[in-house]
Amino acid sequence: MLELDRVGKVYGNGVRALDGVSLSVGPGEIVAVVGGSGCGKSTLLRAISGLDTPSQGRVVLDGVAINAPHEKIGIIFQEPRLLPWLTVAGNVGFGLEDRPRAERERRVAEALARVGLSDKAAMWPRELSGGQAQRVAIARALVPRPQVLLLDEPFSALDAFTRADLQDHLLDLWADARPTLVLVTHDVDEAVVLADRVMVMCPRPGRIFDEIAADLPRPRDRQSAAFDFAKRRVLAALDRSLDRKKRVDETMVTANAGAALWW
Amino acid sequence: MSLVQTGVTVEPAVEQSQRRSALSRFAAPALGLLLPLGLALSWELAVRFGLSDGRLVPPPSVIYATFKELAATGELQRHTLATLLRVAAGFGFGVAAGTLLGAITGYSAFIFRLLDPSLQALRAIPSIAWVPLFILWFGIFEASKVTLIAVGVFFPVYLGVMGAVASVDRKIVEVGRAFRLTGTQMVRRILLPAVLPSYVVALRSGLGLGWMFVVAAEFMGASEGLGFLLVDGQQLGKPAQIVAAIVAFALIGKITDWMIVAASAPFLRWEDRFGRTQEN
Repeated sequence: MLELDRVGKVYGNGVRALDGVSLSVGPGEIVAVVGGSGCGKSTLLRAISGLDTPSQGRVVLDGVAINAPHEKIGIIFQEPRLLPWLTVAGNVGFGLEDRPRAERERRVAEALARVGLSDKAAMWPRELSGGQAQRVAIARALVPRPQVLLLDEPFSALDAFTRADLQDHLLDLWADARPTLVLVTHDVDEAVVLADRVMVMCPRPGRIFDEIAADLPRPRDRQSAAFDFAKRRVLAALDRSLDRKKRVDETMVTANAGAALWW
Repeated sequence: MSLVQTGVTVEPAVEQSQRRSALSRFAAPALGLLLPLGLALSWELAVRFGLSDGRLVPPPSVIYATFKELAATGELQRHTLATLLRVAAGFGFGVAAGTLLGAITGYSAFIFRLLDPSLQALRAIPSIAWVPLFILWFGIFEASKVTLIAVGVFFPVYLGVMGAVASVDRKIVEVGRAFRLTGTQMVRRILLPAVLPSYVVALRSGLGLGWMFVVAAEFMGASEGLGFLLVDGQQLGKPAQIVAAIVAFALIGKITDWMIVAASAPFLRWEDRFGRTQEN
């Protein structure tokens, strides 16, 4: 059980990136966090990962407070962040340095087979395509068998085909050991494809605005009416979270005023 | 139909690229040799046909003869060894100090602010300006020469290492943190491999300066060394000996530089470089 208890984060420059975020995620649950830019969703993920420590509140995993990176928590970044001086196999086995060689090699081979890159084991990261590199990053994060896997806009740099492909692939991998997934994304489709629950955040300060259940049966059909309905609900919540209607009115008002002045 | 088409178009393309690579393997270096060999040959012929006496600018055959003579008496080996030992010692000290100081100033912003201004001020001094002081401090024998070479090697290595350590990608360091690496693991598994390419460049420019400063050091008074051969050739009016010593410098400089490149190449195969695309 991953629990966030009134987590807040104030940066050195006084910006309140997060304020009072409470959330609990059950084992094996997939939660997507969406929100406009600057709503603190990446800050939230970094607080859970232990890469940053919250200014207020705490992150607790199975009764243990998380203040630094933890072995049960893996993270996948927006970029693959592979180490260019290690081969694909070396990158996948990066978190297994302390294991005996035979075990390491076996688990790396398994993971590479699982992401369909067995034939690329001896290659350098520079020789991979963007989608392949991100698959290696996923394998690297999964090989230590984390209980919680955090994903920070993991597919946003990929083209639409590769992205849909990797989303399905991620679900497939998730089904192996069913870790808890917390996924930050700005892609509503992605959130609804993957998540059981979608948290909508709003900015200044970053906090949870709404929670939308997306408990459609899996595998999910991206064309179905139920999928579309869930997507609309998330989009509507996003609009409300950004107060977008009001803002549109404001721009119209200022535009009119400008037009009036021009006359 | 498309299959047949690709079969037809691919084959000549492959063949062509193979022919081109075979051509470039031999022709490209040969092209670079054309100018120096042509000049040497025409000078040789000009002297042979009496267009010049070749006294101040000796033709290649005379330089070669001088080489053979120096080698036969063992002079060449003795002087080369003396120079090599000086460069090796100076390079060793300079690299050790430059690496150590470069690493800690690159790593710690506090030490950077503390040390870097002084080191940059010292760097602004032309290193040859130290010569009189070094002679007073360390005498006219090996110590002052090695010190001068070490000073010359130090600065490029220091700058290269400091810049490389300070500019290691924060995102890659974060991967290390996410995998809970300890301080020494972070250095061994992330920082060292990340700075290696710049380090090799720093070593190469340091070595280049080392060869430059060994000549300056040997000019200030030496009884042996390739620099001594230069001075000796000037004082006794033997231009062929001077040119022979210069050629020896060029050869050894190139060979030692190549040794650094060759020794580091196995560790740098991963590099994603501009020049690499043609090799694969």
